[in-house]
Amino acid sequence: MTTTQQNFHLDRCIEVSIRGSSGVHRRDFLHGVSAAAMATGMLSWTDLLVVEASRLRKRGMACILLWMKGGPSQFETFSPTPDHDNGGETQAINTSVAGIQLAENLPETARMMNDICVIRSMTSKERSHRRASFLLHTGYIPTPSLRHPSFGSIVTQQLGDPTQNLPGFVRIGAEGRGATGAGFLGVKFDPFVMRRADRTPNNTKLLTQSPRFRRRMNLLDQLGTRAGTAAMEAQAAVHRELYERAANLVLSPDMSAFDIQQETASVRRAYGETKFGQGCLLARRLVESGVTFVEVIHGNWDTHLDNFSRSRKLCAALDQPYAQLLGDLKQRGMLDRTLVVWMGEFGRTPRINPRAGRDHYSRAFSVALAGGGVRGGQVIGRTDAGGAEVTERPVGVSDLFQTFCHSLRIDASHENMSPVGRPIKIVEGGEAVREAFA
Amino acid sequence: MNRSFPLIRTVGLLVLVLACCWQRPRLAWCEPAVESSSSRVDRLLSAEIFAQLSPGQLAPPTGDLTYLRRVWLDLLGHLPPPEEITAFVLSKDPQKRANLVDRLLNDPRFGRNWGRYWRDVILYRRTEERAMATSRILTEYFAGHFQANTPWDQIASEIITATGEVRESGSTAIIVAQAGEPENTAAEIARIFMGIQIQCAQCHDHPYDRWKRQQFHELAAFFPRVAVRPTRATGERGFQVVADDQPPRRRGKKKANRRVRGTLEHYMSDLENPTAQGQMIQPALFTTGQKLDVGVTDARRRGTLAQWVTSDNNEWFSKAIVNRLWSELIGEGFVEPIDDLGPDREPQAPRTFDFVSAEFARNGYDIKWLFRTIMSTEAYQRESRPRRQSADSPFTASRPQPLRSDQLFDVFLQVVEADQRQPDNAFRKNTRQTGPNGPRSVFQNMFGYDPSQPREEVTASIPQALVLMNSAQVNRAIRGGKPWGLGKWLREIEGDRTLVHELYLRCLAREPTAQETKTCLSYVKRTRDRRIAFEDILWTLINSVEFRYRI
Repeated sequence: MTTTQQNFHLDRCIEVSIRGSSGVHRRDFLHGVSAAAMATGMLSWTDLLVVEASRLRKRGMACILLWMKGGPSQFETFSPTPDHDNGGETQAINTSVAGIQLAENLPETARMMNDICVIRSMTSKERSHRRASFLLHTGYIPTPSLRHPSFGSIVTQQLGDPTQNLPGFVRIGAEGRGATGAGFLGVKFDPFVMRRADRTPNNTKLLTQSPRFRRRMNLLDQLGTRAGTAAMEAQAAVHRELYERAANLVLSPDMSAFDIQQETASVRRAYGETKFGQGCLLARRLVESGVTFVEVIHGNWDTHLDNFSRSRKLCAALDQPYAQLLGDLKQRGMLDRTLVVWMGEFGRTPRINPRAGRDHYSRAFSVALAGGGVRGGQVIGRTDAGGAEVTERPVGVSDLFQTFCHSLRIDASHENMSPVGRPIKIVEGGEAVREAFA
Repeated sequence: MNRSFPLIRTVGLLVLVLACCWQRPRLAWCEPAVESSSSRVDRLLSAEIFAQLSPGQLAPPTGDLTYLRRVWLDLLGHLPPPEEITAFVLSKDPQKRANLVDRLLNDPRFGRNWGRYWRDVILYRRTEERAMATSRILTEYFAGHFQANTPWDQIASEIITATGEVRESGSTAIIVAQAGEPENTAAEIARIFMGIQIQCAQCHDHPYDRWKRQQFHELAAFFPRVAVRPTRATGERGFQVVADDQPPRRRGKKKANRRVRGTLEHYMSDLENPTAQGQMIQPALFTTGQKLDVGVTDARRRGTLAQWVTSDNNEWFSKAIVNRLWSELIGEGFVEPIDDLGPDREPQAPRTFDFVSAEFARNGYDIKWLFRTIMSTEAYQRESRPRRQSADSPFTASRPQPLRSDQLFDVFLQVVEADQRQPDNAFRKNTRQTGPNGPRSVFQNMFGYDPSQPREEVTASIPQALVLMNSAQVNRAIRGGKPWGLGKWLREIEGDRTLVHELYLRCLAREPTAQETKTCLSYVKRTRDRRIAFEDILWTLINSVEFRYRI
């Protein structure tokens, strides 16, 4: 990573943490941050803390997960097979990379192929929405005894900046079955869920005049956060901290990161006025403001009926925002340190059912990666001509999660303790798909 | 009457609180002539644990105010109404605590409160989302049984052997929550009714415990013929738990859609060769060593399992619920986590644990007996202290418990008087709305937690704080411009000091301290607008840490 990028990240971190109080953009000031400045005490303690935290953040790695709820058809998106019966009516088009074709539904995405790495040989055993969503969110199959954390929670735990006001993990859109949270990692790493990108998150918009709100907080500090008895000291301390953070959130100008209206009309147009487009724009804004993991949900791709026209519509809503997100991140110099993952819980059956639909299929499906050090312009893995079986380079879910960790520089063998004291690795087994990286 | 009542109440309380402080040592529990199970429990605890302690390590008995709030929250999930607080504190009846417990055990809210608790125990571990459809009927199922004091072994048997339409039969919930899948269903039956976490043995021999992989699969072998299927008969889409004793058939003509629908027997997969069918397993219960033949019907299989699990020679059955209820009421279990009893764990106060468990079985698994016994102990009636460090002695004090979502929701409604039938009450129709988008469910999503989770891991979150401090619903509900709730009290209670006392009594079921009164009164004075000032005070009490905990 280059020095400019490092500086960029430092700016961003400190800008976010300071903007609240002064309203001054510190971008220029921080270009000069050096070891000497820190050593001579030019920076306040908070600044130092932020600088340290940003270092710990592995130089600002972030991840955007575009979650295709319901299981998108690989044939209608990243792995068309127009020459086989299984391909149905969907044609293939050329992309900006010679020799790689995508489905005709994704013309804008095809232009960004230089930055995209498609894995066509994903394979898993789970074909129910809930179990497969759980698996592709956590890397583990569901068990009643242990709540595995969502990958977004893990990334936030590993890379998040604990000093910032904004939540580390934001999920945008209607959660599907099997929505996962921080599980045994604890509520601290739970996703901050927003059903829509065009409204500020629930209960963060101040409902009383701010002087009155401050008076209430003040009274609460005098009466309500003191432990009534010695028994409650620990809870009272947590309570005090939470209320302070919640109040900061409500009063903080950082919350403007959640307001996509602050983007120019042309930027908003470029992302499209659709729900998913707004979600992608918000994801970019949030990552830019220091949020570590953003999940944007798009769907429902569960096309048991009428697969072709429904997939076409879903792709139309996907194509432009996805391409724009990659292009925008790249232009802002953020793509190298932002892994963008496109995936759903599984793919769809090669065989077209009598209702022109495709059913659940997990033996061979596709995932697309971009950014975060991933080498674009390539396809990994292969299936037979009809897309039914993986014939080359099978990639399991653990392999995929290892690949995420590799990109984000997270140690996948790191163990978190479960409540019963059992160490649980971030990823159990599997190997990163090395060829995905340069 | 309303105008003067709070004043009388307040004066009465003051006198009484003083009196209580004066004669605190004599407030100790009364010893009946024949030794009750509760005093036997206290004696055993003393011998096992307290004998070695220095004075001061044991928390003193709690005063009437804290005790009253604790019992109300534990049994009914509500706060005591202000009139009751006064009456209870004023009463000189030496049996008043025992009488209170008896009375509340017969209140319909007791069944509902604990019905919701067990709904959460089962549904928080669901691996099948459709199980949420049982939520309501499941609550009613338990509520009805607790109300009628159905013995615990009967409830367990009904759940283990359940069949029928899912929306009509709450007893199907565990099976539905695990999609009828034999391994997960077996694991949940073992966890909930025997407090044993054997599912780790699903894939390998358990690293710590003596149960083996084979034994886990022997338990799963009671469930291969259970299935959750769509209901076809009725017009409405539903699901039912069925017993399928027919040989498996293959559905669908084309290869891609062909599915095996289940087998009549359970097979344990070969770890070396996971795609093969594996070894057929004979049903057996690992805790008692009893075995059943292969080939028997589902009804016999599950019927037999129910008998064996609930029989007196299976000590785990009694211990699981004793440990769970003890932990909920006293604040910590003999064993923790509460659903992970062993076999090779060392419980705290093992003789006490054995005694309560054996007595519970001897009393016919009478649930109200268990509540009454635990709540009559000195251990239950101590003051709260912080959760102990592992080196400290257990059961020396009560421990603060975060309110469960339903408790918090009901207390909130009670405090703002939102369930009154006033015509334009924003909460009126909503509180009765029970669908997934009703306010109770929204609250549940935000404040709910799995009751089997160790309590120190249940932490508050920022979105929770945001709901209470800055949501439209809460802000609307605490407004003082309405004919009920704060509006009514503002009109009827003239003195600011009395009103402060009233709000403390209603929100926290106690009197404010002198310092708190002073802070509130000076706030009212500074704010000038009386209504605004008291809205802020009410807001503060609802957002206080004390509001969220049972102490």
